[in-house]
Amino acid sequence: MAAACTSRTRQMMGLLRILRNFSQNERLLSTSVLRHNVASDGPPKFTPPSKPVIIDKTQKEASLRRFLSPEFIPPRQRTNPVKFSIERKDMIQRRKVLNIPEFYAGSILAVTMTDPHVNGNMNRFIGICIQRSGKGLGATFILRNVVDGQGVEICYELYSPRMRKIEVLKLEKRLDDNLMYLRDALPEYSTFNFDMQPVHYEITGDVPVNLLKVKMRPKPWSKRWERPKFNIKGIHFDLCLTPEMMEHAQKWAEPWRPYDMLKEYDTSSLEEHIFKEVQENLRK
Amino acid sequence: LHTPVIQCIRTHRTNTWWDEHLTEDNASFLKKVVTEEYKQQTTDKLNPLKDEPWPRHEWVEGSRRVGLVAVKLGMMPVWTKSGERHVVTMLQVQDCHVVKHLSKEEYEGHTAALIVGGKNVSPFHRPEGYLEVFRNAGVPPKQKLTTFCVSDNAIIKPGTPLYAAHFRPGQYVDVTAKTIGKGFQGVMKRWGFKGQPASHGQTKTHRRPGSLGPGGDPAKVFKGKKMPGRMGNIYDTTHGLKVWRVNTKYNILYVNGSVPGHRNCLVKVRDSILPTRLENNKNPPFPTFFADGDEEIPEDLYDQDMFQFGEPMAE
Repeated sequence: MAAACTSRTRQMMGLLRILRNFSQNERLLSTSVLRHNVASDGPPKFTPPSKPVIIDKTQKEASLRRFLSPEFIPPRQRTNPVKFSIERKDMIQRRKVLNIPEFYAGSILAVTMTDPHVNGNMNRFIGICIQRSGKGLGATFILRNVVDGQGVEICYELYSPRMRKIEVLKLEKRLDDNLMYLRDALPEYSTFNFDMQPVHYEITGDVPVNLLKVKMRPKPWSKRWERPKFNIKGIHFDLCLTPEMMEHAQKWAEPWRPYDMLKEYDTSSLEEHIFKEVQENLRK
Repeated sequence: LHTPVIQCIRTHRTNTWWDEHLTEDNASFLKKVVTEEYKQQTTDKLNPLKDEPWPRHEWVEGSRRVGLVAVKLGMMPVWTKSGERHVVTMLQVQDCHVVKHLSKEEYEGHTAALIVGGKNVSPFHRPEGYLEVFRNAGVPPKQKLTTFCVSDNAIIKPGTPLYAAHFRPGQYVDVTAKTIGKGFQGVMKRWGFKGQPASHGQTKTHRRPGSLGPGGDPAKVFKGKKMPGRMGNIYDTTHGLKVWRVNTKYNILYVNGSVPGHRNCLVKVRDSILPTRLENNKNPPFPTFFADGDEEIPEDLYDQDMFQFGEPMAE
């Protein structure tokens, strides 16, 4: 019996060896066949192997723009931080119900409010955001538009219960934070069509900055925008003011301001803490 | 027979502070011991049922109950359900304890009184006599002490803690505090006089009081004539302020409008005495709100008309 087994195994081994040789021979055969065919066409074109596509799912969140709405940052005061944390809770609760998107001074927004005096109860207004002011729950933003030749500015409260929807039609920044000088600029810079369609903007990367320099109406203006305290970069001063007037305006310059240590307010660490807190609570 | 001889007692005036003759280790040890003692005392007083509590009565019309001492945190906007915007002051009740009870005879009045203390404070910079009152009550020393006139059925045992849930939304409240000191002020700011015009020939007279009274007949200036002087830094009360919201977790009262005093100042809060607001103050937690665990109160108590931020959008 044992002898029979061993003889069978020997046979199997022998078969396996033949098969292996066969496969090797086939391979040899195959390559030789290819070479034989290709040699007639020319040297083979080098086709590089396909690169493996790495989908970094972890990177998506990191590349998103980190934006903390400016009303979350508490002002420099001697108040108890408990007050700010409680206000922030209320703000986050409101944000869970109403989506308040990211926007800057210079972006074009469409705001829908409830209005008891209108037939359909809703009131939609489109305009360019001139300024964002106020901290905490009383944060406001002003939208400006020119309707039928009349300039109209409406100040909206972000956390008011009458707000229904805030849409960003065009997200962009301007050269300044405060665009109040649009009141003294030519009306074409403040007119926006009410039927404007939203322009696509990216969630990653930097916000596009509009380097537009605005042309002004003849003086007198509502404020002396050429003075250095306003620090406006978005007006084309060369067209409306002479170099002598610009120099005269520099008399009101306060060159010691950037070195005033008592006016320093470093918010970077505060911003990080508050950003993390807000992101955590919004996800809950 | 000896006549009583009064001997003169020589006293040493020691002007040292608590830290001066102590080593650093001793000072830090004392600080630690004091904070632990405070914690122990507050936890002891959390359950008034443990040691012979005084009887609790029901609220009757005409009975007056205690108030609270709170810290003014800041201000915030508040919206009603119809969309109107009101401003609200946040008052936080930090470590409020009843410190002493004075009966009618002791208080020399027609009503009994309860002395209530506010924020906890370190014992090192206070005189001994001040600290004695708190030692008798078993309570850490407080920064502000106020007396509340109280009817006999609203007496509370000294040492009980008082919480913000003592007031409920919809109630009306009077708030007393020391106003912000403005220093020596002129007559226009202090008394609201109109002053004189800026131009049209006025010689050196734009903010002056003008005439001081009638002429030769009295030939004097009456007492109490409004004149320039020190303004502010006096106790003043704002009456009839509505309570919009009560946060039981952080013990914060949201009180309508503005309140005298600067931020983080101590403030006396009491049920309103205005006759038109007595209806809103019916059936309050009497004599006070006890956190024994009998009633489960939600973290935030809102007024009926107030818009709550977590609500889905309604009209």
